[in-house]
Amino acid sequence: MPVKFESVRFGTVEVPDEEVLEFPFGLIGLGGLRYAIIDKNPGTGFFWLHSVEDAALALPVVDPHQFFSEFALELYDEDRERTGVENVEAAKLFVTVRATPDPLDVTANLRAPLVIADGKGYQVLNKSENAPLQAPLFELASQTPATASAEPVRAADAA
Amino acid sequence: MLILTRRPGERVVIGDEILVTVMGVSGHTVRLGIAAPEGVPIYREEIWLAVKEENRAAAEAGANSLPSTPIQGADAQGNDGPAEES
Repeated sequence: MPVKFESVRFGTVEVPDEEVLEFPFGLIGLGGLRYAIIDKNPGTGFFWLHSVEDAALALPVVDPHQFFSEFALELYDEDRERTGVENVEAAKLFVTVRATPDPLDVTANLRAPLVIADGKGYQVLNKSENAPLQAPLFELASQTPATASAEPVRAADAA
Repeated sequence: MLILTRRPGERVVIGDEILVTVMGVSGHTVRLGIAAPEGVPIYREEIWLAVKEENRAAAEAGANSLPSTPIQGADAQGNDGPAEES
């Protein structure tokens, strides 16, 4: 049975029942217990993690593997116990995105990814050393992380 | 705020289920052991604050703040989707 919820951004949204995700501990500092991933920007890799209960609560997210070739999630023991997720490779991962007017300033939070498994979602901390809170989304996509300049993205935009 | 003085080895109990033990003190560093029910997340304050701030900032995005067309570079790893704009 489809679940309908209201969104201040998108009006009435309908998702299949099985796509509603329980976040037993909410998001860090934001709460929210039930969310759905909705695709309002097809083909871009951007999705919205939208609260099913709070029409105003939604965060842009991306699949970290799509934008960060070297992304790896290493769980802390506490998070492994808390979430019951043993194998992060088998889980669906997202990272939150801080959207900015200039696309070159858009960053993703690789330090606190979202792990989704068996209809449940958890925001965990990434033990991996190369997991900044604000990783530029488009610099790293050019696969020259350390010394990336803005030029490849600009060049692509102009083409 | 409640302020307590404890010695190494002594504990503070929060509710019936959270136990904080002063494991040791060395100079300006205090080691704490925390026992809480399974599922209660425990964070160092600075990382909790930082993630909270990222979440809050992300949640401010408006409906039209994301790219509406596939972005070059995002597809660098051969994901599906148009390779270029026409």
